[in-house]
Amino acid sequence: MSWPQFVTVTLNGLTLAALYFIVAIGFTLIFGVLRVVNLAHGSLYLFGGYFGWSVADRTGSWVLGAVAALFVTSLAGLLLQLGLLRRIHGQELREALVTIGVSIVAADLMLARWGGFTYDFSPPEVITGGLRIPLLDIGYPRYRLFVLAFAIALGLILWFVLARTRLGITVRAAIDDRDMVAAVGIDVQRLFALMFAVGAGLAGLAGVIGGSVLSISSGEDARYLLASLIVVIVGGMGSLPGTAVAAVLVALVEQYSLALFPTYAAIVSFLLMVVVLALRPQGLFGRPA
Amino acid sequence: MRKTRLLAALLLFLLLTFPLWGSAYFVGRIFTPALFFGIIALSLSLLAGYGGMVSLAQMTLAGLAGYGYGYLTITLGQPWWIGILAGLAVATLAALVFGLIAVRSTGIYFLMITVALGMVVYALANQNRSIFGGHTGILGIRAPELFGHSLVERTIFYYLCLAIGLTTYGFVRYLAGTPFGLALQALRDDPRRLSTLGYNVALHRVAAFTLSGFLAGIGGLLLVWYNGAISPTTIDLTRLINILVIAVIGGLAYAEGAFLGALVFVLVTNFASSFTQRFNTVIGLTFLAIVLFSPEGLSGIALRLWSLLRRTLLARLAPSRHTGL
Repeated sequence: MSWPQFVTVTLNGLTLAALYFIVAIGFTLIFGVLRVVNLAHGSLYLFGGYFGWSVADRTGSWVLGAVAALFVTSLAGLLLQLGLLRRIHGQELREALVTIGVSIVAADLMLARWGGFTYDFSPPEVITGGLRIPLLDIGYPRYRLFVLAFAIALGLILWFVLARTRLGITVRAAIDDRDMVAAVGIDVQRLFALMFAVGAGLAGLAGVIGGSVLSISSGEDARYLLASLIVVIVGGMGSLPGTAVAAVLVALVEQYSLALFPTYAAIVSFLLMVVVLALRPQGLFGRPA
Repeated sequence: MRKTRLLAALLLFLLLTFPLWGSAYFVGRIFTPALFFGIIALSLSLLAGYGGMVSLAQMTLAGLAGYGYGYLTITLGQPWWIGILAGLAVATLAALVFGLIAVRSTGIYFLMITVALGMVVYALANQNRSIFGGHTGILGIRAPELFGHSLVERTIFYYLCLAIGLTTYGFVRYLAGTPFGLALQALRDDPRRLSTLGYNVALHRVAAFTLSGFLAGIGGLLLVWYNGAISPTTIDLTRLINILVIAVIGGLAYAEGAFLGALVFVLVTNFASSFTQRFNTVIGLTFLAIVLFSPEGLSGIALRLWSLLRRTLLARLAPSRHTGL
C-alpha cells in the first residue's frame, strides 16, 4: 500500500467507524438499559433513511429530512416499546423474537412503499464536495469528514449526558441494577420508553446520515444490523466507550482487509469477533454478566 | 395413550399414501419443501427445545452443506457420494466451530452471536468467487441418480424427504430419553446444578450444536437438490430468520412443531402470494401473534385443544359409563 492510499483507507475506516458508532450506539443504549436485543434496529435505520429521503425530496431540505427521520423513528421505537415489548418485559428471548417479527413486517411494508430502488440524498452544499488534504496532496469527500465530526460530537454529548446529568446517572444506574433504580422510586417504565425512543431515533438519523454517504436501498437493514451486532459484541454490550472503540476497530479492520485481500474481508471481521469472544466473552469493555 | 398412538398411525398412513391420492402440486411443491425445511427447523428444535439455545445460524449450516456438495460435484467434478460426505462434513465442522465460539454465551447473547456468525458467512459467500462462486453462487447442481432415476423426481423425492424426515424426527425424540438428551434438558433448566454434578456443560453445548449442524446439513442437501443451485440469497438474513419463524410457529419446544411450522410456512408463502403480494407481512404478523399470545406455538395450541377435548369427552362419558355399570 502506498502512503496516500494508506491515508485514504484509514480515513475511510474512520468515517465508516463514525457511521457504525452512530448506528450501534442506539442499539447499545437500548440493550444496556432494557436488556432488549433489538433485531429491528436495522429496520429502523432503513425506515429513517427512506422517510428522511421522502421528506427531503418534498421539502428540498436535507436537514429537515434528517430531523424528520429522527422524530419518526423515535415515535416508531416508542410504539414498539409501549405497544409490544412492555407487556412481555423481562422475557429477554421473547422480546428479541418480537423485534424479529417486527423487522419481517417492516421490511415487507417498506418494500411495498419504497420498492427495490436506490435513493440518493443531496446534503447541503456546505458539507459536500471535495477537500484537499494539505501535505499529502490527496482529495477527500468533505461529507465523510462531516460524518466523522458529527459522530465525535454525538459521542461527546452522550458522554456528557451520561456522566454529568441526573438523567445520565439514572441511566447508568439502570444499566447496573434496574431493580434497585425502581426501588428508589424512579419511574423505570418512563426511562425505558425514553431510552427506546432515543435509541430508535439515533438509528433513524443514522439512516439519513449513512444513506447520504452512499445511498439507501432495501438490504441496508441487514448490513447495519450486522454492523451493530459485531460492534456491540466486540465492544461489550451496553458500554458507550466500548461501542466507540469497537466501531473504530471493526471499521478499520474491515477497510484494511478490503484493501488488502478483498475476497476474504468477511473472514477478518469474523476472526476479530472470534478472538474477542475467546479472550473476553463479555466484550472489550463489558462487565461479566 | 392408545388414542395418541392411533392418531400417529393414521397420520403416518396418510403421509405414506399421500402421492397416491394427493395432487402433484401438493406432493411436490408443498409437502416436499415442508419436509426439508422441517428437518432444518428440527435442528433448531433440538437445540432450543432440549438445550435452551436459540440459534439463528441453522440455515447457514444447511447452506454450507449445500455449498460443500456443490463445490465438490460441480467445481471439482467429484461423484455425488463424495459431495454428500463433504457437505455433511462441512456443516458439522462449521457447527463445531460456531459452537466453540458461541458456547460461553447463553440466551440473547447466543442468539446475537449466531446471527452475526450467519451473516458473516453470507458476506463471505457473497465476496468469495473461487469457492462460493460470489453473488451468483453455484449453479447446475444435480441430485444423485440411482438406477437411472434422479432422486429429485417428484414421487421419489417426496419419499426420500419423508423417510429422512421421519428418521431425523425419530432420532430427536429418541435423543430426549438418552443420558445425553437428559443432560441437555438439565442444562437448559439449570446449568449450574448440572456442572455441580460433574457434567462438562460447555462440552454438552458444543456437542449439541455440532449434532444440530449435522441435522441441518442433511436438510441443506435436500434443499440444494430441490433448488438445483445455491447462492448467497439462500443464506441471507431473511432465510436465517425463516427457520426460526418456522420453528416458533410450530412450537419451539416440540420436534413435531418443526414440521408443522414448516408446512404452515410453505402453505402461507404459496397461497397468500396468490391473493396478496404482502405474504411476508402475513408471515410476520402470524409469527408476532404466536410469540405474543401463544409461545408454545401451534403444537402447544393443538395439545391444549386435544386435552380440552379429551377432558370434556371424559366428563360427558364418565356418568354414562357409571350408569352402564
